[in-house]
Amino acid sequence: MAASTKPLILTILDRGEMYGYQIIHNVIQLSGGTLEWSEGMLYPVLHRMEKENFIRSQWKVSSNGRRRKYYRLTELGKKELEKERNHWMKVHNVLSKLWSLSPSFD
Amino acid sequence: MFDLEEAIKHWRKILNKNDALEDGYKEELENHLRDKIDYLVSLGSSQREAFEEAVRKIGEAQSIGSEYFKTDTRHISGRPPWKKSRWLPPLFSNYLKIGLRKIKRQKIYALINIAGLAVGLACCAVIILYVTNELSYDTFHNDADRIYRVAVHRIGIVGEHWFVATPAPLGPELSRSYPQVEQAVRVVPPYENASHVLVVRGEKRLFETRVWFADEDIFELFRMPFIQGNPRTALTNPNTVVITEGMANKYFGEESSLGQTLQIEIDYDTGVVELQDYEVTGIIKNAPANTHLKYDIFLSMETMRSNLADFEENWLNPKPKYTYVKLAPDTDVANFEEQIQRISQTVLQRYSEKYNRKMDLYELFLQPVTKIHMFSRYMREIDPPGNWYYLYIYSIIAFLILLIGCMNFINLSAALSTTRTKEVGMRKVVGAQRRQLVWQFLGESFLITFLAFILASGLASLLLVPFNQMAGTDLTLSGLAQPIVLLSVLGLLLIVSIGSGIYPALILTAFNPISVLQGKLAPTSRGSGAQKILVVGQFAISIFLVICALTVFKQLNFMKGRALGFDLKQKLVLRVKSNMPHLRRDYEAIKNDFLQNPSITGATVSSSVPGDRTDSGYYLSPRIGDFKGTPFIKVITMDYDFISEYEIKMVAGRSFQRGAGNDERESYLINLAAVKELGFSSPDEALGKNFQASYHRINKRIIGITADFHYRGMQEVVEPLVMDIENSLFEAITLSIRVENMNNLMRFIQSTWDEHFPGVPFEYSFLDENFDREYRYEDRMGKLLGIITTLGFFIACLGLFGLASFVARSRIKEIGIRKVLGASTSNIVSMLSKKFVLLILISVIIASPIAWYSMNKWLQDFAYRIDMGLYMFFVAAAGALVIALTTVSIQGIRAAVVNPANSLRNE
Repeated sequence: MAASTKPLILTILDRGEMYGYQIIHNVIQLSGGTLEWSEGMLYPVLHRMEKENFIRSQWKVSSNGRRRKYYRLTELGKKELEKERNHWMKVHNVLSKLWSLSPSFD
Repeated sequence: MFDLEEAIKHWRKILNKNDALEDGYKEELENHLRDKIDYLVSLGSSQREAFEEAVRKIGEAQSIGSEYFKTDTRHISGRPPWKKSRWLPPLFSNYLKIGLRKIKRQKIYALINIAGLAVGLACCAVIILYVTNELSYDTFHNDADRIYRVAVHRIGIVGEHWFVATPAPLGPELSRSYPQVEQAVRVVPPYENASHVLVVRGEKRLFETRVWFADEDIFELFRMPFIQGNPRTALTNPNTVVITEGMANKYFGEESSLGQTLQIEIDYDTGVVELQDYEVTGIIKNAPANTHLKYDIFLSMETMRSNLADFEENWLNPKPKYTYVKLAPDTDVANFEEQIQRISQTVLQRYSEKYNRKMDLYELFLQPVTKIHMFSRYMREIDPPGNWYYLYIYSIIAFLILLIGCMNFINLSAALSTTRTKEVGMRKVVGAQRRQLVWQFLGESFLITFLAFILASGLASLLLVPFNQMAGTDLTLSGLAQPIVLLSVLGLLLIVSIGSGIYPALILTAFNPISVLQGKLAPTSRGSGAQKILVVGQFAISIFLVICALTVFKQLNFMKGRALGFDLKQKLVLRVKSNMPHLRRDYEAIKNDFLQNPSITGATVSSSVPGDRTDSGYYLSPRIGDFKGTPFIKVITMDYDFISEYEIKMVAGRSFQRGAGNDERESYLINLAAVKELGFSSPDEALGKNFQASYHRINKRIIGITADFHYRGMQEVVEPLVMDIENSLFEAITLSIRVENMNNLMRFIQSTWDEHFPGVPFEYSFLDENFDREYRYEDRMGKLLGIITTLGFFIACLGLFGLASFVARSRIKEIGIRKVLGASTSNIVSMLSKKFVLLILISVIIASPIAWYSMNKWLQDFAYRIDMGLYMFFVAAAGALVIALTTVSIQGIRAAVVNPANSLRNE
């Protein structure tokens, strides 16, 4: 899984409680279909994040009778999201500087 | 036509093949698939396209599974569950599963096994605690191996004696003159009132017994942790006192006691006794149970010096003083002992100067402080010494009961082994080696033992309560936390599980798989010989214990009840510990005041009461003023009523009588033993003879001879005794009472006491209780044996019960056929029981001579003892038979009443 998966999941869950399919659907929508995952791989990642106490899950029965596992962010997860955000912003700043300067490296 | 549900079902099957995917994970994935399909269909795809697209998007079950697996497996091992473990034996989880399943399936047998072992282990744990506590006395001091107590061996005109008490100046002399001595500390009990030191604070007036004078650096020598105060300076000044936490709570409650004042009365034998003020300068932790020097209160030695001017110079004062030294590391103790004989010479010299006669020997020697409790057997010992004899007996008893539990286990497992032949056969067929199987069964026995162990720790804490009461100890389970105890308990656990597991394991694994799986069951006959031996062993031990218990009880009853030679029922004893002159002068008036109450039928005053371990006595001489070579005879001084109140029989002459002359000035009574001791051949010959006593130097005449009454208990031969009316030694009041309204009576006695002895705490005891205390070791052993015997029998019966039920079950078809052919229930019960009766009889034959031998040995210690009648063996044998037969019959009847139609239906 790409390193970006965790911040993506954290960010999306920050908007509220969701089940797995909703998360994937959100990612696809937001990226306009440019980010594509092997969708089944999301679940082991969610499982791991739950073990690390970033998120909590709960089985609920939806209106169409399907049992769904909803995930939501924990306090620890919110902190982790903050960390990830800082980290990625730093990387983003450096990279965008590097790329805008790149001609002078010739 | 594409069937979506069918396709999803098929897809789910692929997921099912992956071990890492658990039910919840699969459900989540399936719901995802369905959501995706719904979405794609809503966008216009066909069901088939949508399904294929969704499956493609979700990805390979294999890779999802391994991703889950990575998350679920701890990183330490990284071992998937189907791979061989590095440290657990292969198939471990299977063994555990089978083991637990067996326990569940055969609840009764497992319970018998576990209960039997647990009782045995609990007894052992308690005894281990007791033994380690006994052996741990005084080992907790810093450098305990370098601390010694100085003791004396001396031979003088009164004979040869070993004392643990030493002269007062010895301690300072040792530290002054010998560089090997790092520290010398003296501990001195109050001279005259060590057993009853009056301590007063405000309204509280109580007697204390564990009061000592101590040199100021005692807290450096012994480990007595301070809670408050400064150990270096606490005992430097006169009239300062260091008390334990317990004392602080007792006298000061919640208040802080440091710096407060306590009033303490010490009798220095100077004629003046008064309450003095003491400042509390330190609070120390309570004395541990495992020290020979039990303490509550330490007074500064400076106090002693300020009250007794010659204390530091007096080498010959006979009052006990204890001297402890800490020697420098690597001191040659034997050499040092030789060097200090120089001091002995000083003592000998002073002695002959003062008394104008020579002492033949005066020799100082050292006792290691850690050995005092178990090894010191000398005069003036501080604490009742430990008893090796009972240490051994308790250990043997605990071992025996554990043995019974183990035998149960072996027996039942061996019997049950027949139910596991098929399992063993299968395991062997698929490649199990014998070694692996042995490990499996040993593991099971460890499991059982471990469960028993958990149960045992609960049982042990229950057992400790009565045990502590019996043994007079203060043991707690927390004592198990010491490394030595823990190790021995763990060792026990291993030994027990291997010891009881190895035999069944060997039998079980010896099966030949081919014959077992063909249904030929050889093992019953193979195991049964050993099983019989085990049953015999268990019952032999139980019967042995029963005979021992019966003997001990009988001896105890004999000692307690039989001809003590005096009446000890309904006698209340009051000890006067303060304001003695009033008692000694006005005893008749005091008695009269008590006799005002109709429930008090008699009163008498004396120097001691029967059961007291008094050592006071007179040298009696037929010549005036010459006591050389005259016998030392124990004495009880009494008033006119003592002989009649205690119903002591007269053998010759008359008892003390008011108005029959001046008995107070002129008369002795002696007992029969004293007749011989004084050199007369018959009581009549002794009558009318005159003797002078070393104590009061009055010439008195023997007017009567009493029977030998056991004034010191039954263990010893009755020693010679002289009795006279000598009020200067009176200390005890005995009241004969009728128990009607105990509360009123006690209130009356207390108020009368308070009138005569205001300010002296009211303490009383019943004479028969006093006397029982004499037999506490025997009493303890009797009670312990009683409990152990019951437990042993209980376990043995459990085993027998299990075995009988197994035998009955394995012969259920035979029983069915016999019933069909006309056998009655009683026929069948007797058929099943016969074998066991024989076994019990064999155990009686084995146990009886051993019990007879060891109990006779035990009885040797008693001066007056019972004969071990044959009836005791009969009682034990009959008891064992009845109990065993009942146990077996229950099973027999259960087997016999089964309808043969049921038991034979399956064939």
